[in-house]
Amino acid sequence: MTPAETGVLLEHLFRRQAGRIVSHLTSLLGPANLDLAEETMQEAMLRALQTWPYQGIPERAEGWLFRVAHNAAIDALRRRRFSVPAAEDTDDTIAALAHAADTMPDRPDLDEQLRDEELRMIFMCCHPDIPRDASVALSLKTVGGFGVNEIARAFLAEEATIAQRLVRAKRQIRENRLTLDMPAAFDLPRRLDAVLETIYFIFNEGYTAHEGDTLIRHDLCGEGLRLGQLIACSSLAAPRVHALVALMAFQAARSAARVDPFGDLVVLEEQDRSRWDTPLIALGFHHFGQSIAGDQPSEYHVQAAIAATHARAASGGEADWRTILSLYDDLRAMNPSPVVILNRAVAVAKVYGPGAALEAIEPLQADAKLRTYYLLHALRGHLMLELGRRREAADSFRAALECRCSEPERRFLRRRLASCA
Amino acid sequence: MSQFLLLLYNDTTRPPNLSPDEMQKMLERYMAWREKPFTLDGKRLAEDVGRVIRSNSGKPRTSDGPYSETKEVLAGFYLIEAANYDEAVKLALTNPHAERGAIEVRQIYGS
Repeated sequence: MTPAETGVLLEHLFRRQAGRIVSHLTSLLGPANLDLAEETMQEAMLRALQTWPYQGIPERAEGWLFRVAHNAAIDALRRRRFSVPAAEDTDDTIAALAHAADTMPDRPDLDEQLRDEELRMIFMCCHPDIPRDASVALSLKTVGGFGVNEIARAFLAEEATIAQRLVRAKRQIRENRLTLDMPAAFDLPRRLDAVLETIYFIFNEGYTAHEGDTLIRHDLCGEGLRLGQLIACSSLAAPRVHALVALMAFQAARSAARVDPFGDLVVLEEQDRSRWDTPLIALGFHHFGQSIAGDQPSEYHVQAAIAATHARAASGGEADWRTILSLYDDLRAMNPSPVVILNRAVAVAKVYGPGAALEAIEPLQADAKLRTYYLLHALRGHLMLELGRRREAADSFRAALECRCSEPERRFLRRRLASCA
Repeated sequence: MSQFLLLLYNDTTRPPNLSPDEMQKMLERYMAWREKPFTLDGKRLAEDVGRVIRSNSGKPRTSDGPYSETKEVLAGFYLIEAANYDEAVKLALTNPHAERGAIEVRQIYGS
């Protein structure tokens, strides 16, 4: 049945179409007119909101939105010609828009074309000339179809702050004359890495349990995974792209099981694996298989391998911790960050016991920056408790509770603290 | 059952600044309302000001519609079925437009 008959639209249809329309119009209007592309997209959706409630949803809702957006862009360019001394190429742009609007519905390669335009757009949004936080906001706004208010909610930021980042990003695009051209071969690895980092940042921001709107954070994970797949299914699919998609898929598969019916955190070992998302696990293994071909292993590879090892275990207790530990050794060699060392310590505890794990995190205790990092204290408390050193365990959990963490994490820590008594 | 005409007015002074997702959710609420069996018909009106014909001592005169100076524009109408005014108003209140603009409820004479 068509949407017209059911009166129901695909979930997030507008958000998805917004990303495609903005990418498409920007390819016709040029990156300097990104604002205009966004305004006309907004205009098209507003028209739908003013029309469809009375006339019903048109049979080809997506085509309707694209056509109206094209026409709104043409109108805007014509109006602009009165106020701004006509740019020479305005006529050409109008002709191109009109041509695109006419031929679009019948193009057999339409999907492919729109995917290609989205891909170019994400590469421009993640250009290394644009600061990371601005890249993230711009990608979510233009390609992701998120609203400023939604981005603000997801990052616990003020709407004005996000709006400012977007302005800054667009200024960079204009001043540095960034284009939608795909990077040249020599520049591709660097540009691809910038894109992957932004995508993983988006995913992680959604995945990491912090306070804030659950629903919108779930959407961030979905968007990260979608963008990753967009690249993995393109000609740019380097092995590390597949590794990143595998990693995100494995992690996303576990997200429902991370919280119990009361909204409390459940640690990996105690998770009910029947609640893991099987199709996502399968997707993870699919991309993991493709990530192994050639190339030097990236951090994404090792992290995906760790996630795959967990996914292979039938239950938490049977995970192959020796393999996991040796993977963490590899990861530490690539990136000796505190988070990696902490996670590695969990594997050390499984293989060599809590005493060895305490030793492994000892160097972190001296780091002043980590004094406010709740996971360090929480892990130390856990290890102390396993060693039967209850008082020190309680001290650690109390220290963890002093740090910034989400409400479910707080409840989790209080439970642990109570068990020290 | 009587028939009622709901006249929906848009507030032109503040265009809603909604995200695509919010617009879709808003639209879905309208569509759900429109699918209900009490809705007999609905049409959107064109955005222009329209024309008004007024007779001045027997001489009809045509002019542009009244909307150019007002903040509210008649945007569309629905024809619905309800037992009485109370029920018609109650149904009109469940239309999402009640949160965004004005709705005028008028009974079709003799229905």
